[in-house]
Amino acid sequence: MDRASQRTQILANHLLQSSPPSPLSSNACLSYSPPELSENYAFDVKEMRRIIDGHNVEERDWLFGLMRQSKLFNPKEKGGKVFVSPDYNQSMEQQREMTWKRIEYLLERGVFKGWLTEKGEAVEMWKFAGFEVSSIYDHSLFTKLGVHFFLWGGAIKFLGSKHHHEKWLMDSENYLIKGCFAMTELGHGSNVRGVETVTTYDSNTGEFVINTPCESAQKYWIGGAANHATHTVVFSQLHINGTNQGVHAFIVQIRDADGNICPNVRIADCGHKIGLNGVDNGRIWFDNVRVPRENLLNSVADVSPDGKYLSSIENPDQRFAAFMAPLTVGRVNIACTAVYQSKVALAIAIRYALTRRAFSLKPNEPEVLLLDYPSHQRRLIPLVAKIYAMSFAANYLKMLYVKRTPQSNKTIHIVSSSFKATFTWNNMQILQECREACGGQGLKTENRVGHLKGEYDVQSTFEGDNNILMQQVSKALFAEYVAAQKRNKAFKGLGLEHMNKPCPVIPSQLTSSTLRCSQFLVDALCLRERDLLNRFIADVSKCKAEGESTQQAFLMCYQLAEDLGRAFSDRAIFQTFIEAEATLPAGSLKDVLGTLRSLYALICLEDVSYVRYGYLSVENGASVRREITKICSELRPHALALVTSFGIPDAFLSPIAFNWIEANSWSSD
Amino acid sequence: MASSVSSQQDKVLVEANSFARIITLNRPKQLNALSFQMISQLLELFLVYEEDPNVKLVILKGKGRAFSVGGDVASLVRDMRADDWRVGANFFSQLYKFIYLIATYSKLQVSILNGIVMGGGAGVSVHGRFRVATENTSFAMPEAALGLFPDVAASYFLSRLPGFFGEYVGLTGSRLDGAEMLACGLATHFVPSAKLSMLEAALCDVDSSDPAIISTIIDQYSEQPSLKEHSVYNRLDVIDRCFSQRTVEEIISALEREYGHQSDSWIFATIQTLKKSSPTSLKLCLRSIREGRLQGVGQCLVREYRMVSHVMRGELSKDFFEGCRATLLDKDKNPNWEPSKLELIDDARVDCYFCKVEHEEWEDFKLPIRSKFELPPYAIAKL
Repeated sequence: MDRASQRTQILANHLLQSSPPSPLSSNACLSYSPPELSENYAFDVKEMRRIIDGHNVEERDWLFGLMRQSKLFNPKEKGGKVFVSPDYNQSMEQQREMTWKRIEYLLERGVFKGWLTEKGEAVEMWKFAGFEVSSIYDHSLFTKLGVHFFLWGGAIKFLGSKHHHEKWLMDSENYLIKGCFAMTELGHGSNVRGVETVTTYDSNTGEFVINTPCESAQKYWIGGAANHATHTVVFSQLHINGTNQGVHAFIVQIRDADGNICPNVRIADCGHKIGLNGVDNGRIWFDNVRVPRENLLNSVADVSPDGKYLSSIENPDQRFAAFMAPLTVGRVNIACTAVYQSKVALAIAIRYALTRRAFSLKPNEPEVLLLDYPSHQRRLIPLVAKIYAMSFAANYLKMLYVKRTPQSNKTIHIVSSSFKATFTWNNMQILQECREACGGQGLKTENRVGHLKGEYDVQSTFEGDNNILMQQVSKALFAEYVAAQKRNKAFKGLGLEHMNKPCPVIPSQLTSSTLRCSQFLVDALCLRERDLLNRFIADVSKCKAEGESTQQAFLMCYQLAEDLGRAFSDRAIFQTFIEAEATLPAGSLKDVLGTLRSLYALICLEDVSYVRYGYLSVENGASVRREITKICSELRPHALALVTSFGIPDAFLSPIAFNWIEANSWSSD
Repeated sequence: MASSVSSQQDKVLVEANSFARIITLNRPKQLNALSFQMISQLLELFLVYEEDPNVKLVILKGKGRAFSVGGDVASLVRDMRADDWRVGANFFSQLYKFIYLIATYSKLQVSILNGIVMGGGAGVSVHGRFRVATENTSFAMPEAALGLFPDVAASYFLSRLPGFFGEYVGLTGSRLDGAEMLACGLATHFVPSAKLSMLEAALCDVDSSDPAIISTIIDQYSEQPSLKEHSVYNRLDVIDRCFSQRTVEEIISALEREYGHQSDSWIFATIQTLKKSSPTSLKLCLRSIREGRLQGVGQCLVREYRMVSHVMRGELSKDFFEGCRATLLDKDKNPNWEPSKLELIDDARVDCYFCKVEHEEWEDFKLPIRSKFELPPYAIAKL
């Protein structure tokens, strides 16, 4: 029987049974009632979006539209709405080809115009926005673009000199050259200085000879290498006349224009992964591959035609740090992107919670909307506050990056490390909470929230392992402290100026108004950072006094180091929130942001460290938790407006965020 | 038996026929241009029908050779004294209320597009559930040539046409015939005009409001028309390449590049049309479609109301008045646009149209409350 006649019969049956309703059949069918019609916006959501997106709103919408309108982005109609998302049921090879076709499509539309060849804040901010938007569609698309533009393109820009720029950037921007970035090896990931690839110089031919001496030296996880890349930047030890000058970067062609692998290069696949199967990660071996002398990216060091090593930076540590520059922009990019995945998941979970009901409080009463349960509010609304905080922090980080100076490099390194680790960890936590909040529906790939976990898990590892990045944060704070003491100078930079003031005091009894006072909240976050820094210094000094080396002392004090890193991040993020809030005129928008700001800080104060180290008494800890539940119920009426302000178009959310009954109806399958 | 009743206002005729109501726009000399009064009357009728359990279907059609050419802009401009933008704002507010009701209507609307459909005429039909085109249909959104921009939530439906066809239709005001309307989804059915009376009779016999059943009935009278050889719909690849560009300037350069590859008179004509339109209108139109693509129908109307209020106030540009003068009043077809060039209109200037109007008597368009009725899924999907 076809669907139409089956449906007619069902309708007819309904009509035939319209005799007096029996008590057993009195339950009306559930119907979807759209939250747009019942929830009110108390503030201008477009304006809010403009504030939290921060920049390039129109261009973002253009890019969303480009993807929404193209068949290549796999549009599917569900419940009368169109959703775009890759077909993750395709084979790994098919997904990779689709990623590449999508890049070609965006390239033809001029999306990447200027991304490698133009300079200045405007194009850098647009590039960040473009990456954020592409990541909302698919992490593979984002990653493949990121490898090409930020890692390959960034290496040429930052590590190369004028002739490299002229030779490679325009062709890369137009994808005549497809780049990848061969840094990580099987045997070395975070410890880049330990890579085993070796390059020597042959002054007879004026060539470098690049070699993979052992299996652990094979380049690993190289995005783009398995199928598409034509060129790579190889990170390798440079041996000149028997002296190892440390890690340097070389351009090597790995495929010809027809896609054939070049002689003396071997490439294998990394295989199927828990996510990102649209990225062709590969492994590369170099069998004494010869490249011209000009292929050394020589902005910090060069080799003369007759084979002399020349470097403008004497100190090998500093030289190495300079080689890591392309990773910094990648970290900024990853941090900002993580916030947008959280937005996708939370917009879906909140919208679902505004339409899904479960359990009646009394018999024969309607079931209760999920988001009207205080416990459900408590699960999701603090995450909304976290996302707003991270949005402001991400905008701060981007500005810090595009306005960089040689003096600000250290700050950028520390802040980007801290935010990248914190945002990507938060993202995974938010994705998991949202998945659970959507129940079984969260498990369907088409509903995105659950699937995103696999796609985004890698963020805590690439461009710097989160734990290692956070260790660098605490080490940097340690160094700041030592430097300030040694020179007997005040703290300046990294937001540590509060260390110069008297230690704040937490009132013995915290009232509701104190708990929402931004000064108190700043004090509470600074107090923890200050105390943990003092404790960290004391513990490291104690270890050293007992005869340990500084390095060993750091390793032994890892627990304090971790707590300190988190304290720094929470405080730094909060400060960006306060600063953003201060720029706004009084009004409904500022009011709701003020409430979110308090909620964000209070969930930081709920961290176990506040009780562990005694910054909050047990009673005050209880007051914090009480206040959180109060704020959650105050923000409940704003829930829809707050997630609508994320500016994620409907087509990039998922069916359960809208009419999930219709989307699952027999006739729409 | 059908009972035929003429309302006091004979510009809107009403026929009650068991479960169907047939509304006929009856101002044929003005090609059924919609006056404020007509809009108010239509709004009233639709509201009454929604409450009435005996109504399951509303048929909307036009008398004469047009379905409707849209809002009666010519008289609107005459009515608006130089400084009184309120008359204009009021007109659009009433029209948008009606559009929103149509887009979220809990009952079925079938529009019979047997003739010219333009601007507001598209607004009062395309948002409804069924749109029947015929061999007489001629559709266009010509606002950009008039110094306005496609409103009536056109930013919702144009932006959802395949690829970037909506940008093309909105920016160029290009005419589409019935076959093209069906192909791109602006029409849901194509019925030869000879069969319209039979179709009407069949619809009046139905006592169902199930869209599947109504659709099946219309299907019985429908044909699959073929696109004419030179149909623009066969040029989707060029349209997609060019009209997907970010700015109007880039769209024109892309067309010029395309013309360089293939000296095609259609591409040349398209470029000429764009160059003749109000530069301000083109920028507003493009931005409106781009934003509308990502908004629900209600948000589109709220935004368009801001835009149209700015246009009526004439503080940012007087192109609308100039366009009406040149096309509708003096008919010299030689408008003097100001600013005269695309390059003279920067993003900040365009942004102004999307902001609230700074005037104590102005407020944002308030969407009528629609939670009283259970909306059908196809209406919910537009929110």
